[in-house]
Order: sequence, then structure tokens, then C-alpha cells
Amino acid sequence: MNLKNLSIKAKLMIITMLTSSVALVLLSASFLMYDLLSFRHVLSEDLATQAEIIGYNSAVAMGFKDASAATATLSALKAKEDIVAAVLYSPNGKIFAKYVRADVAHPDLPSDVIQSNGSRFRGSYLEVFHDVSFNGDSVGTLFLQSDMSQWSSRAKRYAGFLLLFMLGSSFLALLIASKLQALISQPILRLEDTMRIVSAKKNYEVRALKFYDDEIGRLIDGFNTMLAEIQQRDSALQSANDELQTRTQELEGEIIHRKKTQEELLSAKRAAEDASRAKSAFLANMSHELRTPLNAIIGYSEMIQEEIEDSGEIQNVKDVQKIESAGKHLLALINDVLDLSKIEAGKMALHVETFDLGTMIQDLASTLQPAVAKNSNAFQLNLSEHLGSMRSDVTKVRQILANLLSNAAKFTDHGTISLEAERTQADGLAWIRLRVRDTGIGITAEQQQNLFKEFAQADVSIARKYGGTGLGLAISHRFAQMMGGNMSVESEPGKGSVFTVYLPAEVTSEPSSTASPKADTEQPAAALKSKSRAETILVIDDDPAVRDLMTRFVTKMGFQVTAASNGEEGIKLARKIRPVVITLDVVMPGVDGWTVLKRLKSDPELAAIPVIMVTIVDNEVTGVNLGASSYLVKPVDRERLAELIERYSGAHMAANPEAVGVGVERTSDTKSKTAKRKDPQSNRSN
Amino acid sequence: MVTKGRRKIWKFTIAAACLICLLAAQSIPAQGADSASSEYLIKAGFIYNFAKLMEWPAPVFPEPNSPIVIAILGTDPFQGTLDNVLRGKQVNGREFVVKHLKWGDDLKGCNIIFVSSSEKAHFDDLFRMIHGLPILTIGDTPGFAERGGIINFVLEDDKVRFEIDVNAAKQARINISSRLLALAKIVPDTASDGRRAQ
Repeated sequence: MNLKNLSIKAKLMIITMLTSSVALVLLSASFLMYDLLSFRHVLSEDLATQAEIIGYNSAVAMGFKDASAATATLSALKAKEDIVAAVLYSPNGKIFAKYVRADVAHPDLPSDVIQSNGSRFRGSYLEVFHDVSFNGDSVGTLFLQSDMSQWSSRAKRYAGFLLLFMLGSSFLALLIASKLQALISQPILRLEDTMRIVSAKKNYEVRALKFYDDEIGRLIDGFNTMLAEIQQRDSALQSANDELQTRTQELEGEIIHRKKTQEELLSAKRAAEDASRAKSAFLANMSHELRTPLNAIIGYSEMIQEEIEDSGEIQNVKDVQKIESAGKHLLALINDVLDLSKIEAGKMALHVETFDLGTMIQDLASTLQPAVAKNSNAFQLNLSEHLGSMRSDVTKVRQILANLLSNAAKFTDHGTISLEAERTQADGLAWIRLRVRDTGIGITAEQQQNLFKEFAQADVSIARKYGGTGLGLAISHRFAQMMGGNMSVESEPGKGSVFTVYLPAEVTSEPSSTASPKADTEQPAAALKSKSRAETILVIDDDPAVRDLMTRFVTKMGFQVTAASNGEEGIKLARKIRPVVITLDVVMPGVDGWTVLKRLKSDPELAAIPVIMVTIVDNEVTGVNLGASSYLVKPVDRERLAELIERYSGAHMAANPEAVGVGVERTSDTKSKTAKRKDPQSNRSN
Repeated sequence: MVTKGRRKIWKFTIAAACLICLLAAQSIPAQGADSASSEYLIKAGFIYNFAKLMEWPAPVFPEPNSPIVIAILGTDPFQGTLDNVLRGKQVNGREFVVKHLKWGDDLKGCNIIFVSSSEKAHFDDLFRMIHGLPILTIGDTPGFAERGGIINFVLEDDKVRFEIDVNAAKQARINISSRLLALAKIVPDTASDGRRAQ
């Protein structure tokens, strides 16, 4: 057991006992030493005296050489127990007489007289030499040897006494120390108890008891002060902790609440998505269902119109034209509504391709010329010289311009309508500015506020007078925004209006997905000529009305036509007759159009045949991606279809020299033949 | 003390050596004289010692340093040894004077008389003559003490011992130390009574 780890009580006791014992032992030892030394001196004096007496008594015997008398004198020393031996030496150093104590067998005697007088301690013996003189004459030397038995017995007695004394006083000291150590150890032990309570029970309210105003008392004071400090901090910490806990519970409640809300929101979102999907499906379905009969109405009315013209019964033409016009109006209306719903659903996609803007505008202008001229309006086309090509969604640009121009024509009578186009620079980008100016009825400032909003015509009365859905401007405005541009209007009632459209020359937001090698140049429509050709066109459509109309139309163009009512049959016929062009519907029972397209394009023998998608499903991206050469949405613009068929069949055979030339006059020539079946509002051309 | 003692020892040894030389020189003529001279050397020493233990009546020595007169009566058995032994010695401040006398010489003034055995015939006359005088008589003749002498040397086991007639000493008014008496053979009273009766 390590002495240093003993309790304070034990240490104090040990210190007290050690100190007092050491002092006691040293004191006793020095006493003993002093006493024994002085006693030795006394002994040697005594022995010297004894020697003197014996010497005197034996002097005469020595003087008369009476050894027996001398021996008798010496034997008187029997009474002295400590005398071991006594010897009388003659003056010549010889032993004259001697006495040896009875119990000593071999006395340790000096062989010679060492000194005549004096004492010495030799080993455990005290020895005395004494000169024996007889009336002034030295007659010999007396030697006495004592074993100091008195001295050793005295030493033993003394030591025993001291031992007893020491034991007694140590015991007394132990008693006193055990009583007095409490003065120091008691406060410390109590302090330790307090400390243990504090650390074990974390109870900071207890205080150590102070006994005396000494160092330990001050220590206890300091301890209590620290304890008070800790208690204060502990309570502060506790309250902070409680607060934190409360806050945490609040937060947990909040989190649970939010989670619930989130779940509700999620389910609401799912419900909304379901609703949106249902709406989209409904719309797609409806558009298909609405367009299919309209297709038939418009197609047949056109055919009837042509047949009547051919038979010469002109008076019936107007009636048929009304049917066709009403059908086309209805179609336009449906298309607008669908477009708008698509825009609102964010499903309207841009099909970016590079095209020549001037050509496109001239083409459009020639198409719209009859409509503009209807109210005896003059049409001016101002194209800047460096218009160049534009990379954008040509369909939507065309739709914006057609809408603006037809509006201008609608609200202007005997006035002037002009279209300006120029290339400008702003913010480091190239912009195309298109401006449609008219001298019509104009728009009030109030009306201008709602001009680009859906279903908001300038005036309800206007709608009755001029017709229209009121969706055209809203859709155009949205299209301009989609392409990164904008549309604005300046107008003064009675004087006319100016619509300005800014479009970026290159739309960068969407990668070009529609760039088909055969679609990048707009070619003027070739004149429809009745010629006999060996080439066959394959029409694949499940709708017999469409098959009939397409067959009639393409036959008129001078091609052979074979029709298939489903995908499987279409593919078989394609292998069999090897058509120059295939028109393909998407929505068909059994094998749908996409699958047919894929199979056609994966067949090495058939992959080269151009496929024109003719469908109600407006998904040009998929079509082009699967390898379709062009994509037309029903009801089909016949002129555009004719143009495409001419191009692909021509490309298939040889370059058509007539298709190369480009010019306004030429296009206006071709217009004369098709203008009569063309409605200005039919601006969905592909 | 030590050096003093040593010096004494030295002195003693030198003295002893001188004595032996002297004795040797004197004893050259007679071979058998060796044991005799040794015996008388001891006896001379004894005589010196006797002087130490005697008290004479006060009027004997008029002066504090009056010498102790020793006479050898008759043939000197010491052959000069006594003279040599006592030369220079003192007892209580008194030196020794040794006289050699023969029968008929004046014995007054002597303190100690060694009566040689050659005077055996004159013992009674002698004692009658000196009766009551403070003279210590010493002899070495058997019966000397019984006939009136105070101290007589005897040989016991070749050792020199002595006998003392206490009454004779009393009559001579000489006080003998008890320490000497302790070593001596005491002559019985009857002898002296008998002698006195004669």
C-alpha cells in the first residue's frame, strides 16, 4: 500500500507519531549514551581506587617477596563480582601473584606490564594498572581487569526503562494525536463527503459546513462559492434546455404539420396531373373526332366545287363554297382552341429550322393576296435587302404574319396594308423586325390593353360584324414570346394600326430537331399539271374518306395511286409496288403509323422512299425523328401536299428545272390557279 | 605518570645490573658463595624494609634527619652487600650509616644491630647488655628470637622468612607495624618467659 495514498487522518497520525517517536528516540539515546559514558568513567575511577587499596595492601607482601601473602590479599577481590582477574607483577615484569575469578577458565591477561599507572577499555573489559609502592619505593605493578558487569546490567536496565517510557509516551502521543488530528481531518473529510454528494447526485444545492476560520475554512468558502456559481449556471442551462425542448417540440409539430400539408399537396398534385392527363387525352381525342368529319366535309366540298366548275353549273358553286368556307372556319376555330390549350399546358414545342425569310414572306404574301384584296385594299411588301435566312420555327412565324395580315385586311376597307421586314441588331444579337401597317379602323387605347388576351376582341359588336374567334392575336403573341421575341401595337382609332413583332434571327433555346435535308429550302410550289406519270403514290389511312380524297387528289396530279386501309397492308403493298412517295396516317387500328414508319425505315429496300405523315396527331418531332420526310396535320392543305409530292417524286426521278426558279411574279402566277380554293384563314400549312 | 614509572623501571634495571656486576666481581674467588650472597642480598633488602616499618621512641633521633645507624656485630655475612644496598637510601628522611663492630665494641648509639651467627656465644650477654635500649636486634641464627632477639631470619622451602618476638620489641620500646607482623611468624610468649627466667 502506497504511503502517499493513505487518508489524511492516517497521514496526520503517522506524521505526529513519527516526529514524536524520532524526538523521543534521539533524546533517550543521548540520555543513555551520556549516562553510560559517565558511568564508565565512574567505573574506571572506582576500579582505580580499588587498585590503590589492593596495591597498598599488597605492597608489604611484595616488598618481602611473600607471594602467598600477596595472593591472599588479591583473593579478597572475590567479593567484587565484576573483577575478572588481578595480577601483581614484579619490578622485572614477572607475575608475582594472581587472582582469577572462579568461573573464568582462560583469563585474557596482558603478557607484559604495559603501563605502570592508568586505566584502559579493551574489548568489553576495563583494565587498570597501578604502581605498587612501599614507602616510596616501587615494588611492583598491580593489574586489575573488570568485565563491567555493573555497566552492562545498568545499560540493560536503563534501555529497558527507556523502552517502557517510549512505549508509554508513544501510546499517550497516539491518544492525543488521534484526538487532535480531527481538527484538521474532520473539515476535510466533511468537505469530501459534500463533494461526493455533489458529484454523485448532481445536487448543487448542498453546501460544505465550515468549521474554523483557517486555510481549510477558506477552502470550504471557495468551494461553496464555486458551487453557487455552478448551481446558477446549471439552472440557467436547465432553463435554456427546457426552452430548447419546447422549441423542438414546436418545430416537430410544425414539421408534422408541414409533412401533412406536403402529402396533401402531393395528392392534390397527383389529382391535378391526373386531371391534366385526362384533359389532354380528351383534347387529343376531341381534336381527332372533330377533325375527321370536318376533313371529309371540306375535302368533299372542294371536290364537288371542282366537279361543278367542270360541269359548268356555276350557280351552285357559291353554295358549295359556303359549306367549304364554314368548314374551314370551324377547323380554324378548333385549331386555335387546341393551340391555345397546348400553349397553356406548355406542350407547344418549337420546331426550329433554317429557312430563307424573304422567300417565306413572298410565298405567304402571294397566298394572302386575294384575302387582302377583298376589301379593295392595296398591299405593299417592303423587304429589306439583307434579310438573309432565319433560324426559327417557320410555321409559327408564318402563322404570326398570316394572322396579322388577315386581321389588317379584315379591319381595313379601301385602304393600304403593308408588310415590312428588316434585320436589326440589339444586345449583340441579330433580330428580325416585322411590321404590319394598315389604315383601318384602329384600336382605342382601352382596347389595346386587352388586345393580346384570349377571347378578347376589341369590341363585342366587332365580333358580330367581322367574325373571328379573338384567339389569333393571343396565339401570335404567345408564339412570339416562345421564340424569345415580343409583339407590340401602336394605333389610333380611325387612322389605323401598326403591329410590330421582334423575333431573334436565331432561336437558340431549342436544338434543331426538324432539320431534314429535304426541308431546309422552301421551294415554290410547282404548277399542278395534268400529266400522265408512271410513278405510284401509296396512301396508308384507315379512314376511307381520306383514302378516297387522297386518291382523287393525287390521281389529278397525274400519279398512280394505291391505297391501304391498315399498316400491315401498307407495308406489304410498299414492298410490292415500290411507290415513289408514301403518305401515312398515325392513328390506325392494329399497327399504328409510328410502327409502320419504323418498319419502313428499317427495311433497306424501302428506307429510301420518302414518307409524308398525314395525320391529326400533331407530333412532328417524333415523325421526323423516325425518318419521315414531311409532316402534315389534317385537314391537309392540298397545295402544300401537292408541292411536297411533286418535290419528292421529282427528286426521286430527276431535278425539275421549273422548280429551281424563285420569284414573286412566278408565285403569283401559280396562285391564280389555286387561289379560288384557298381560304385566307387557312394558315396552317404543314 | 607513565614516563615517571618507566624512568623508575630504568633506574631499577640499571641499579640491578650494577649490583650484579659488583657481586660477580666479589664472588669470583669462591664458587659456592653464589647462593649465600643471593640470600644475603635478599636479607639486606629485608633489613631496609624492616627499617620502613619500625617506630623508634622519640628521643632516639634528636634531629629530623638523624641517620639510622646499623651495626653488623661479628663476622659480616653480607660481605659488604648491606652497605651497598643501603647506600643512598632514606627512610622518612633519614639516611643509613652501616658500622662493622666486634664483640666488646660500644653498642650505644646503634639503632639496628645485625647479630652475626659468629657471636652465638655472646647472645645472652648481649641481650642483657642492651636490655631496655631502643635497639632492633636482627639475627639469622636458629633460636635467636627465643633467646632474646627481636627479628630472626629463617629459611622455609629455600625462601627467606622471618620471625618476630613481639614482647622483645615491646621491651625495647620499638613499635612494629602491624603490616609487618602480618607477614611474620610470631614467637610465642613462653619462649621469652623462659628466657627471662634464665
